[in-house]
Amino acid sequence: MNPLRQLFGGRGTSAGQYGMIIALILIVAIFEIATGGLTLSPTNVINVFQQYSYILILALGMVMVIIAGHIDLSVGSVAAFVGIIVAQAMSQWHWSWWEAILLGLVIGALVGAWQGFWVAFVRVPAFIVTLAGQLIFRGANQWIGNSTSVSVPESYQTIGNGFIPDFGPNTGFSNGTLLLGLITVIVLIWSEARGRAKRRKMGAELVPMWVSIVRTGILVAVTLFGTYLFGAGSVGTSFPVVAIIAGVLTILYGFITRNTIFGRQVYAVGGNANAAALSGVSIRRVNFFVMANMSLLAAIAGMVYVGYAGASGPADGTGWELDAIAAVFVGGAAVSGGIGTVAGSIVGALVMALLQNGLQLIGAESNLQQIIRGLVLLLAVAFDVYSKTQGRPSLIGGITRGLGIGRDRTKATDAPAQVAALPKSIDDQSTVSLP
Amino acid sequence: MRKKYIVGIAAVAAAAALTLSGCSTGRTTSGSSDSSSTTIKKGDLIGVALPAKTSQNWVLAGQDFKDSIEKAGFKADIQYADNSSPVPSQQAEINSMLTKGAKVVIIGAADGSQLTTQVATAKKDGAIVIAWDRNILNTKNVDYYVAFNNFHVGELQAQALLDGLKKEKGSGPYNVELFAGSPDDANAPLFFNGAMSVLKPKIADGTIKVVSGQTTFNNASTQGWLAQNAQKRMTDLITGYYAKGTKLDGVLSPNDTLARAILQATKSAGLPNPVVTGQDSETDSIPLIMNGTQYSTIYKDTTLEAQAAVDLVTTLSKGEKPKTVDNDKNNDNGKIIVKSIELSPVLVTKDNAVEAYKNNPDLEKLATANQ
Amino acid sequence: MSNHTILEMRSITKEFPGVKALSDVSMTVTAGEIHAICGENGAGKSTLMKVLSGVYPYGTYTGDIVYQGEVVQFSNIKQSEEAGIVIIHQELALIPELSITENLFLGSEIGKRGVIDWTQAQLRARELLARVGLDEDPDTQIKNLGVGKQQLVEIAKALHKNVKLLILDEPTAALNETDSQHLLSLIVGLKERGVTSIMISHKLNEIEQVADDITIIRDGRTIETLDVHTGVDEDRIIRGMVGRSLESRFPDRTPHIGEVFFEVKDWTVQHPLDSSRLVCKNESFTVRRGEIVGFAGLMGAGRTELAMSLFGRSYGTWLGGQVFKDGREIKLGSVRQAIDAGIGYVSEDRKALGLNLLDSVKRSTVSADLRKISKGGVVDSLKEFDVAEQYRKMLRTKVPTVEEGVSKLSGGNQQKVVLSKWMFTDPDLLILDEPTRGIDVGAKFEIYRIIQQLAEQGKGVILISSELPELLGLSDRIYTIFEGSITDEFPVAEATPETLMRSMTSHSKKDALI
Repeated sequence: MNPLRQLFGGRGTSAGQYGMIIALILIVAIFEIATGGLTLSPTNVINVFQQYSYILILALGMVMVIIAGHIDLSVGSVAAFVGIIVAQAMSQWHWSWWEAILLGLVIGALVGAWQGFWVAFVRVPAFIVTLAGQLIFRGANQWIGNSTSVSVPESYQTIGNGFIPDFGPNTGFSNGTLLLGLITVIVLIWSEARGRAKRRKMGAELVPMWVSIVRTGILVAVTLFGTYLFGAGSVGTSFPVVAIIAGVLTILYGFITRNTIFGRQVYAVGGNANAAALSGVSIRRVNFFVMANMSLLAAIAGMVYVGYAGASGPADGTGWELDAIAAVFVGGAAVSGGIGTVAGSIVGALVMALLQNGLQLIGAESNLQQIIRGLVLLLAVAFDVYSKTQGRPSLIGGITRGLGIGRDRTKATDAPAQVAALPKSIDDQSTVSLP
Repeated sequence: MRKKYIVGIAAVAAAAALTLSGCSTGRTTSGSSDSSSTTIKKGDLIGVALPAKTSQNWVLAGQDFKDSIEKAGFKADIQYADNSSPVPSQQAEINSMLTKGAKVVIIGAADGSQLTTQVATAKKDGAIVIAWDRNILNTKNVDYYVAFNNFHVGELQAQALLDGLKKEKGSGPYNVELFAGSPDDANAPLFFNGAMSVLKPKIADGTIKVVSGQTTFNNASTQGWLAQNAQKRMTDLITGYYAKGTKLDGVLSPNDTLARAILQATKSAGLPNPVVTGQDSETDSIPLIMNGTQYSTIYKDTTLEAQAAVDLVTTLSKGEKPKTVDNDKNNDNGKIIVKSIELSPVLVTKDNAVEAYKNNPDLEKLATANQ
Repeated sequence: MSNHTILEMRSITKEFPGVKALSDVSMTVTAGEIHAICGENGAGKSTLMKVLSGVYPYGTYTGDIVYQGEVVQFSNIKQSEEAGIVIIHQELALIPELSITENLFLGSEIGKRGVIDWTQAQLRARELLARVGLDEDPDTQIKNLGVGKQQLVEIAKALHKNVKLLILDEPTAALNETDSQHLLSLIVGLKERGVTSIMISHKLNEIEQVADDITIIRDGRTIETLDVHTGVDEDRIIRGMVGRSLESRFPDRTPHIGEVFFEVKDWTVQHPLDSSRLVCKNESFTVRRGEIVGFAGLMGAGRTELAMSLFGRSYGTWLGGQVFKDGREIKLGSVRQAIDAGIGYVSEDRKALGLNLLDSVKRSTVSADLRKISKGGVVDSLKEFDVAEQYRKMLRTKVPTVEEGVSKLSGGNQQKVVLSKWMFTDPDLLILDEPTRGIDVGAKFEIYRIIQQLAEQGKGVILISSELPELLGLSDRIYTIFEGSITDEFPVAEATPETLMRSMTSHSKKDALI
């Protein structure tokens, strides 16, 4: 294992993933110089988090969808659909902000159940279901809102543009942010120490001590720097509420994908659906919940954005699906499914967000920005694909297998007839119920 | 082993903290809630955020702003929203301008109701917010609104329609259809209401008949100001109401792009040209006006409009109080009535085109060439 | 009918990395005959035919192919087809959504400058269909034809290419009795019109019926060529196919067999796509505790289909039959139910069905029963690691750490991971489908040992294998399957390769009983 890989992640971290961390650092560094220090100024960092938090939130669901081997093109429309209903609930029916948010979550879950139903039970490919969803929910948004923007009250806007409130003595910084930073630092050190203890207990291979120290040290330094940035903004600003929402969701979904049975099953279905089915995984159940969860997160992203924009508009969410998908792929996920991480997708989302922010700060035109972002997406995935082909026997094995040569195949050359007759996914066949 | 590790972490953390303390100067308190105290100097950055380049007007506006801002001695940062996601990109652009220290932001909003957070930030950063061409809604953080009087635009369009009908279609009653702009553009209802203020009495006395019966803004609106939407609606109207020989005499169109789309639809259906109004004096429409295909357009001299905004900035930089209209209800943004500078548009038909465009060599050339 | 030689293959040797698939194989085919090739699964029949037809191009093998008196060196299928050699594979190469006509002329369209002359094509198609005796509209889409008729379209396609030497790889494996007979008589008809055929088949009765000569291949070598007209019977062919001696490569074991605990009655399953075919026909069998039960059958006999349909209906459409465990009927409606009922299934194709190649050893080991190491849906990574380590040590899986990706392991070690995965579910009955396929001899021995240990623990083991020595060396009892039916049952002491092969290739016993 090379030291870089040890630093940036354990097992399963592809070259592309730490490549992207380096890319992220490079992007920040380049723009920091090009803008004369504006990129890492408190105002800008706060702006970036407020502006692009919806991509972070969407990427969390999208990475699971993509790991499971699907795609979701409807997230922008679903976000807009939920957004307009929430806005209407407050402006027309005079619901309070928390009632409206609850309504939004319920609608998001219902939309998710609808899409999950078609994907999992009717087995319409997710691409089609969500393409239809894109049209359906965009139309529903404009129908409900009469294609106009509906404003939301200021109490609600907090979830999109609010900050941790100020309290305590005047330290020259936002005290809430300082506290949050301190807690994060403690948690980082504690979790690294606990991770080491756990691995020692397991008798598993331990990374060298210097790796742990440098890794934690870097994270602590980043946290402290972030604390400074968020805490030192102009009075009234501090750590944005949306960043807290995105942060909590990131930790939650990181945990779900890594440590729960459901998370395992998502990887299993995406990696080899037949093997998963033969291991007792209900592919339908996994597909249903993955798609449903995506719409729920789209609902949250939509609500957050409405809070940030101060109104729900008919064009909300256009192009979001592409932002989220791009973030996930830049973050090292595989188009064929089975590969991808929450952490990688967050890095991918940050790469795309900071790139766009930096280009805006140096005054690049929006059309140029789109070209550059397109190229970065292409290059990032190309780099990932390239690095996977380097010295990875699995892929070469895959190629030789595909050509029907190689050791494992020789004994089996007489065999493929009945394998070929198998349905694509075994789960597709188990439709007969007991009499 | 473990102890050594914790000591190591602590050392790194301490080092990091020290590094940071070197650059931490505490939070900036430049924020001032009273923008009237803002002073603007020559060489200050003026940010101009315009919507996506969906019409020529916006493209011209960018150049006009650049020229006049630089001429007035300021630095210009002109940004357009992107086509695929105009609102978020415009929000981000305004934030970037403020980060770069813009003293004034002139905003041609992509969606006037979705910029509350950005203008609030601008206020906090002590920048002056000028809504340009389209008002910014539901916020008290807009300082000025510079635009043509859009209600008046509507009135002019309706009058042109009536004149044109009388001139080209003989005596009434006339069969007419109505089109309005995009519902997410705050100006679209103004155009439409202005026009309806002239047309309503004529509809009431039977001079004008809207065959489809679609006379409300929502019925007539064109999502996104998109030509394809207008052409589709016109085609549907023809199929629905004019297929059996009912004559279509005139169409109220809010701008030139939609006017051409409407004419395209009538042409495809094989109908004779109705009297169609327009707005914006787009280069594609001027030849049509000169050859009589499209009856009228409106000339809103973008150069004048941009200049008006820049003049406003110049006035403010001298510490003078600008002359504004303070009580026009059409400038109510939902929270306040925004102080505004209103410009007057010019109605253009075949007869006065050359005269009207004499300030704009490109348009003048087009008008003369097609005379 | 002339008697000259159309094809001679001389000393063909073909190696894959680490494996010699063919060594010094020679055969001679006389023009205008039907020449059968027989051999066990994996003997090298298909490889030989792929060498002949250019699938494995010249240069990747050694030896000479003399065709129509000249040495030929095909570098792809196109060249061999131009020379008149057409191979029809087990998996048909027709495009389901296109019509018969379009399929017939795919790659050799009738027309000029890229524009197809559909009138000519239709006429030619009707003519070709008449020649193979297929009464169908040429505009019919392939997907609307049964497998038997599709086979005929393949042959018509070969005729269009002016075939001189037709190679059929298991042509009747997927066909029912009527279609098989029709196809065989067509091949005989072609022979009368001068088309030479090479036919790979497991069905000895069919070979006896139509073939003129039989070449037997075993372990990548030519054993002998028999002339059917001089009186060859099935016994003679079987002796040639299984002739190898039983090496003592199985660990010693004294079985401790308990009572019957698992029983399947009248299990009937339909093919998932072709509802006219039954892949399991009223199959009944029993398994005792501590017993290794072998299932012998040739490719396509329905062994995997039986196993997978039992394992939570993972294959085909269940039509009837019951399963009893410890005297009580159990429902096996889904894989989950099957696992919960204490059944495990190690699939035949471990890469396609057994493992997620993107996963680590650790995660693969626990993947079939995550609940065992979880609390409230959260996986306990400590327990997971412990379990994986425990099985790594127990099965002596060669892997540096259990966090290594399974894709990096050798076939034998991958199979051990699959076995760990199923042993971790602690099944009462473990179905092993070709557990040693693609595994080298050393690892095979270890796998045999694991299988025996499972039986020692009192579990029932069903062993499906194409290798008769393996079945004879490991099993306590052997069932034979032929065309979806259990044809016979032997205590291992009474079984020989010959008797097994007889029951694997005919309904002999059932016939005798009737």
